[in-house]
Amino acid sequence: MKPKVAFFDFAGCEGDQLQVANLEEDLLALLGQVEVVSFREVMKEHSDNYDIAFVEGSCTRLQDEDRLKQIRKNAKIVVALGSCAAIGGINSLRNYKDLDSVKKTVYGDQAKLFDSYAARPIDAVIPVDAYVYGCPIDRDDFLHVVKSLLLGKKPETPTYPVCVECKKNENVCAFERGQFCVGPVTRAGCNSCCVNEGTICWGCRGLVDNPNENSHKEVLIKYGLTVDDAIGKFRLYFGWQEAKR
Amino acid sequence: MSKEINVHHITRVEGHGNINVVINNGTVERCEWAIPEAPRFFEAMVVGRSWNELHHITSRICGICSIGHTLASLKATEAALGIKISEQDLKLRKLALHAENMQSHLLHVGFLVLPDLMAVGSVIPLASSHPAEVKTVLKLHRIANEMSNLLCGRTTHPQRLIPGGFSKIPTAKELAALRSKLMDAVPSLEAVAKLIKGLAGKLPDFKRETEFIALTDPNEYALYDGRIASSDTGSAPAREYLAYTNEYIVPHSTAKWAKHARESYMVGALARVNINYSKLSPMAKETAEMFGLAPVCHNPFMNNIAQLVETVHSVEDSIKLINELEADGLVPQPDYNKPEIKVKAGSGVGAVEVPRGILFHDYTYNDKGICTRANCVIPTNQNHGNISLDMKALVPQIIEKSKSEIELTLEMLVRAYDPCISCSTHVVKVNGN
Amino acid sequence: MKIISKKDFDDFINALIKDESWNVIGVKSRGSKFAFGPLENAQELRLDYDVTLLPPKKYFFPQRETLFTYDLSGGFSAKNPDEAKPMVIIGVHPYDIVALLHMDEIFRETKSDPYYFNKRKASVIIGVNMQKMSKWNFSAYMGCAVIDYGYDLMLTDLGNRYAINTGSQKGEQLLAKYAKNVTPALARDIQIAGQKKREILSLSQQKFDFPPEFIPELLKDSYSNSSFWERHSEKCLACGSCVLVCPTCYCFDVKDNPDISLEHGERIRTWDGCLLEDFAKIASGENFRATRPTRYRHRYFKKGKYLFDRFGFISCVGCGRCSSNCLPNIANPVDLFNDMYNESLNNGAQAITATTHPEVNIQTEGNIDYVPKLATITKKVPMTLSETLFEVKLDDGTELGHKPGQFVEVSVFGIGEAPISLSSSPTVKGAFELCVRKLGNVTTRLHKLNVGDKIGIRGPFGNGFDVDSLKGKDLLFIAGGLGIAPLRSLFNYVLASRNDFGRVFLLYGCKEPKEILFGEELAALSLREDVDFRSTVNFCPENEVWTGNIGVITTLIPQISFDPEKTIAVLCGPPVMYKFVIADLKAKNMPDENIVMSLERRMKCGVGKCGHCQINQIYVCKDGPVFNYSKIKGVPEAL
Repeated sequence: MKPKVAFFDFAGCEGDQLQVANLEEDLLALLGQVEVVSFREVMKEHSDNYDIAFVEGSCTRLQDEDRLKQIRKNAKIVVALGSCAAIGGINSLRNYKDLDSVKKTVYGDQAKLFDSYAARPIDAVIPVDAYVYGCPIDRDDFLHVVKSLLLGKKPETPTYPVCVECKKNENVCAFERGQFCVGPVTRAGCNSCCVNEGTICWGCRGLVDNPNENSHKEVLIKYGLTVDDAIGKFRLYFGWQEAKR
Repeated sequence: MSKEINVHHITRVEGHGNINVVINNGTVERCEWAIPEAPRFFEAMVVGRSWNELHHITSRICGICSIGHTLASLKATEAALGIKISEQDLKLRKLALHAENMQSHLLHVGFLVLPDLMAVGSVIPLASSHPAEVKTVLKLHRIANEMSNLLCGRTTHPQRLIPGGFSKIPTAKELAALRSKLMDAVPSLEAVAKLIKGLAGKLPDFKRETEFIALTDPNEYALYDGRIASSDTGSAPAREYLAYTNEYIVPHSTAKWAKHARESYMVGALARVNINYSKLSPMAKETAEMFGLAPVCHNPFMNNIAQLVETVHSVEDSIKLINELEADGLVPQPDYNKPEIKVKAGSGVGAVEVPRGILFHDYTYNDKGICTRANCVIPTNQNHGNISLDMKALVPQIIEKSKSEIELTLEMLVRAYDPCISCSTHVVKVNGN
Repeated sequence: MKIISKKDFDDFINALIKDESWNVIGVKSRGSKFAFGPLENAQELRLDYDVTLLPPKKYFFPQRETLFTYDLSGGFSAKNPDEAKPMVIIGVHPYDIVALLHMDEIFRETKSDPYYFNKRKASVIIGVNMQKMSKWNFSAYMGCAVIDYGYDLMLTDLGNRYAINTGSQKGEQLLAKYAKNVTPALARDIQIAGQKKREILSLSQQKFDFPPEFIPELLKDSYSNSSFWERHSEKCLACGSCVLVCPTCYCFDVKDNPDISLEHGERIRTWDGCLLEDFAKIASGENFRATRPTRYRHRYFKKGKYLFDRFGFISCVGCGRCSSNCLPNIANPVDLFNDMYNESLNNGAQAITATTHPEVNIQTEGNIDYVPKLATITKKVPMTLSETLFEVKLDDGTELGHKPGQFVEVSVFGIGEAPISLSSSPTVKGAFELCVRKLGNVTTRLHKLNVGDKIGIRGPFGNGFDVDSLKGKDLLFIAGGLGIAPLRSLFNYVLASRNDFGRVFLLYGCKEPKEILFGEELAALSLREDVDFRSTVNFCPENEVWTGNIGVITTLIPQISFDPEKTIAVLCGPPVMYKFVIADLKAKNMPDENIVMSLERRMKCGVGKCGHCQINQIYVCKDGPVFNYSKIKGVPEAL
């Protein structure tokens, strides 16, 4: 019997689910292997009977926690889909702002109606079985995780940084071009896609398991960033992870 | 007889929206369009970040229109820092925008709207009942994605688009290959148009007069640039956008709403077609005629058709742009291109027509190029008021229908706007400081 | 030496490109740097480069390579990739040519790697003498800045013309077929070319404080100087850049890549690096080089000592790529070895000299076969909650032909390959047995397979036990946990010709009674008079019955009496067991030579190539997994 699959979203841009829709012909092949029972973005039907739940987006409100816990209860396997769900992602930038005053400015005296707390990855609320990192997720990486789960295999996630893939792709290092990147501490698996396109690694896949953060901050400073800018580079995506370390 | 319609988290739209209608003894007691989406405070998040990161961050406002957000962001930054881009880069950016327009419209019309017209819950059963049609839509969608890959280095959250131009551009060969794909797409597009034509009778015949707002340009069908035009009041430069958008807070909605000359206005494909009809490409006009879509059309359900018309326009205009680039001779640029940029203090507004309508990004930078203030106005925010008023006008007209029929019609109405709800809340505004 | 004008040289390159039977590769600019890539015309060629981002090894040992594709829809069929298309690589600097010669040795040792050599044999190397030298380059010190071997053609820029040295018939023929107006060099040209080559040696901006031939000797005493390695590696990002850009690094990983149908797929190999965190991690989670300093040290030892001992060359050509790619600037071998040299002098070391050249005897026989043989599971006997005994038959009807102590690589297609010890005696014909613990992905999946299901088998691999040397001796088998599995192969072999051996002891320990493997077989042993069998458990839960010994395995040793001189101890167990057992055996005066053991490491390729199972200079998969204690007691990473 085909495993039943459901997609859910929390605070995020839904760009990861879009990558799933963007699988094009591979999507038809995938539909031969799984039965999608819930995917609000593309289908009206919904069922709470599913085996694998893909969850996109960060948890940013107390009220989201109950929904997450329900998903955890219903699913055998929970997969964090994309940076916001897997590491907190770009949402955690707001964790450095004074949220109360932000909310008051936005909503005035109705601020308390809109509860909101520090943005966090879903594994801060529920146990997660597998991760598809990236902002957005890489379609091949998503398929890799899905195929692994279908084969009953724990998806292999690189524990090495983006530099590995960047070197294999024979890019000119960002630092050699007078730019700054966080590839040396960021988890690989994206095939260094941003650097391949002529830019830098922004860190969207989060820190590797054992990053040498101090050494890389020293590198950033050695190559010309101020201490604040070096910290800022880490904050773009690593906010939640760094706060936890 | 009383009916209560509660659509919690409407499906086949981007983001979370609720419809709540209470009908008691033939009168509408409540008719509410509510947005419970979690707010993300982007405008607060970008404060303190550098000019060369803003486009990367604000791209994350929305996965579906990330190219549009990136371009609006770059335009705002470039306006603030006084950066000019080359004629070639301008054309390449227009191609990138077309790619997103096609990708988004095809996804909406082909995957999200089509199931309503064919009375199914999603495109998934269509894959087996109508494999040829689904494959045709998939093929067109794939071409749009390949185009976006080629121009932006990705389909979502572009990489190649940077302040001052592009980090990497396609080769002349790659552009020529893209052109032949686009030319091959034309018959498929015609097939999709025919398919929709056969089903268009299912779109409700509903009219409510409203105001339309879109960018306009005397020389082309305005998407990348232009003046703000209203069907009610005339036009103004983009930097005066605040006079048009006038956002306000509504209870039970984490998104802000907007109004201009009337209680609400509409943006998006229909607004653009209504305002800029004469600038559509020849084939796009033919398509519009096929559906009897002519300005000024006040049926919001026709937004779906306007999207189809625009898809045709984007294909045709892209071919034209590639021809022009080829005729001018594509100038190669260095690997890992990074335009030289002098940082200075300043403010700038970027306005771009994205799939769901007119989008504004407005930034202020200090002399170190650090963002001190940001404001983004999202198409869907501008449409929320119009959706709500449409709903209020539509419900009494269909009040005798069954609950499920009312529910479906209201869902179709919301869907017709192709709302991008997460966008519209992701940028809840921080006024002042 | 010959001469060709630059214009005629361009025509030569263009003629090669025009003849589509060749892949024409040359050095091109990339950003502010250079890279080897396919040439579209001679104008793209940049022979004035300093160094390329990656060395040309990527054309022979690509970043990612399909070893074979498989198709499970009709049983199983595997297809090797096609033959290599002829390729000419233009503009290789001498140091990169020497690096290719090193790679040739590594890829031909024991068994040749057909993927590498197919491409290597189909290629023509056109070298060029350096016109610019990267500031990190120290090839002059490594004897690799100018060479007169290893190329097919070698160019020297003489202004408006090139001098060409011919290094092979292949090069000669290429020139004859595609180049026009090639003339013999005049005496003056020969003189200028010689002058140019001498100038190259003076371009070096790096400086060794001592002759690099001393490196192997210098390293000898530095292994245990942990403060040295910790100091130097403190800033290491473990990003692997230094090894990934290295022209002589060859470590790789092997993975399965199924397509979405899950029926078809490919097995690929990709570049790997010993600096990366999981490089030496095995399925049980144990990581044999878990910390950055140990991995950092391993790289220098591998380059400067291990490969020197094995092949007779320091595996570094001085290209300087590692130094230039290291952001914290800690990868420069010149800096590190100078520091090591000066520190040892400061510590009062006597004058250091070069190690005498090791005796190098590279054996090579046949090709490596990465495509497994198809096999069928013919019996599946669950033994404990996590261990199952599989009986497997090769589908082609042949015997595996293994020795006790060897292992096979077991494939579950779509998941990958895992090394599993053989647990049946070679005396049992027709099938073989594997006792498998559910640990990683492959073994977990294996446990879900049933009788009749297909798996792939490569091997047998490894040295196995030297059975003949055991004959006539008393044997003391000591097995801990799953260690009984490989020992059972030898033990049953011994029982099958019991009279060839003296006394036989078997000591077996595991954590608790429910983890005992081969319980019935062992019970039968206790009835035999020609075997002294004792077992122990670390503990026994209250609700279970255990009448035997309780305690760790070493508590059994005092219970038996054996003649340490006449007895050979055969050990296999978890890594932690060895240290304690050996200490107790030594306390009983057992000579080192009388202790043999089987080690477990991350064996991927099985043929001493991929580098994962390497402990110091030893490849466990090829030199082991069976080792005599006297040979490895000085190998710090072994025990």
